[in-house]
Amino acid sequence: MSDAIQKATDAATGNEPLVLLELIQRLKVRDVMTSKLVTVSRSDTMHAVQELMRQMKISGVPVEENGRFFGLVSIDDIIRALGGGYINDACSKHMTTKLVVLEDDMPLSFALRYFDRYRYGRFPVLNRDQHLVGIICQRDINRALLVELTNELNRIESVSSHMPGADMAYSIYVLREFPICKYDFENAGKAANQIKQVLQEKKFPPKVIRRIAVAAYELEINLCVHSDGGVLSWQISNGRAEIIARDAGPGIEDVEWACRDGTSTANEWIRSLGFGAGMGLANVKRVSDEFEITSKKGSGTTVKSVINIAAPELSVS
Amino acid sequence: MTILEVSEVLKAEVLVKGEGCQKAIRHVVASDLMSDVLLVDEDDMLLLTSLSSDQVLRTAQIVGAVGVIVVNGKPLPSSMVNVAHDLRMTLATSPFSKYDACVAVYEALKLK
Repeated sequence: MSDAIQKATDAATGNEPLVLLELIQRLKVRDVMTSKLVTVSRSDTMHAVQELMRQMKISGVPVEENGRFFGLVSIDDIIRALGGGYINDACSKHMTTKLVVLEDDMPLSFALRYFDRYRYGRFPVLNRDQHLVGIICQRDINRALLVELTNELNRIESVSSHMPGADMAYSIYVLREFPICKYDFENAGKAANQIKQVLQEKKFPPKVIRRIAVAAYELEINLCVHSDGGVLSWQISNGRAEIIARDAGPGIEDVEWACRDGTSTANEWIRSLGFGAGMGLANVKRVSDEFEITSKKGSGTTVKSVINIAAPELSVS
Repeated sequence: MTILEVSEVLKAEVLVKGEGCQKAIRHVVASDLMSDVLLVDEDDMLLLTSLSSDQVLRTAQIVGAVGVIVVNGKPLPSSMVNVAHDLRMTLATSPFSKYDACVAVYEALKLK
């Protein structure tokens, strides 16, 4: 496993909260995979597949017809066919059919875990309709991470150049973005936990930390439970903390209703996990000095919570 | 009274000893609804719950709880132990029902 992937895998386990961790959560398998596929159909012979592999310099060929995925012929399958004397058989007889596949909307972190767990060189990628849409190998991941890390470094340098001076009130300037995936309860809450830890390290007043942490946590859980996935960002500058949850859908039909105590569209499964009591947005509003929500059914929602760090502390009870 | 002492009262197995394990408990919340827990503005609280998920610990960290005791003798997923270590949060599991645990903790702490 390459160093880049190893580091990303380490980050995926939560050992290091790095830019890399954000990247591998934000990037989807579809952003990284190869979608220009060389495929064969079930009636093609193993010999034809062997020739294709030689010409294209590839080590595995998916078997598919009209988008429907049937299996994969690997170099190992070809070697066995040569040894067993059945190289002229149709590949459908000897292709590998017990396959581990990835879905195109999974975060890249899933793919990294799969590479680590199964030790395969590549994974076929299917869409929600179970159609083959790509194939992903470790080289694809290395290439994508290199490009994204370069972009991210440029962005961080750009933000750094606009940092306020040390003489400004609460001169700490933090800007972080956390990608939040739909129903990713394994990671839900991690961003808020990290935000709280940073604030504790910076020795902010406990009551302020609590309010910021509660707002961040509720918004993070909301993104996980109600949105199709989004980004939680937070920054502190000039004596105020700003937490923004932004998603691309599905949107809220009645924003006023959604902000009332006890109103929720959560299903039983989400309630069984301890959420969906309909207190989320109301709770965020309660701890915020400024609260804004914009949403439209069918499009995205943006919620902004501002907490004045220098202002008299408000009770959250 | 600390969460370790309360754990003895509740015959609880302490799986992780976190930073707050020696702190005196000043408030107790018994709930399975995490948003309700987030509403409580009390320091050094003990969280009693019958919910066995990572989010219980994440919620407890957000509100600065001294620790979590999961009741009803529920088997806890290994991820909970890992998260408790990461967040340095005390985690215990008790065979008591939530009601019995509440009564026993009330008696032990003499809180009103």
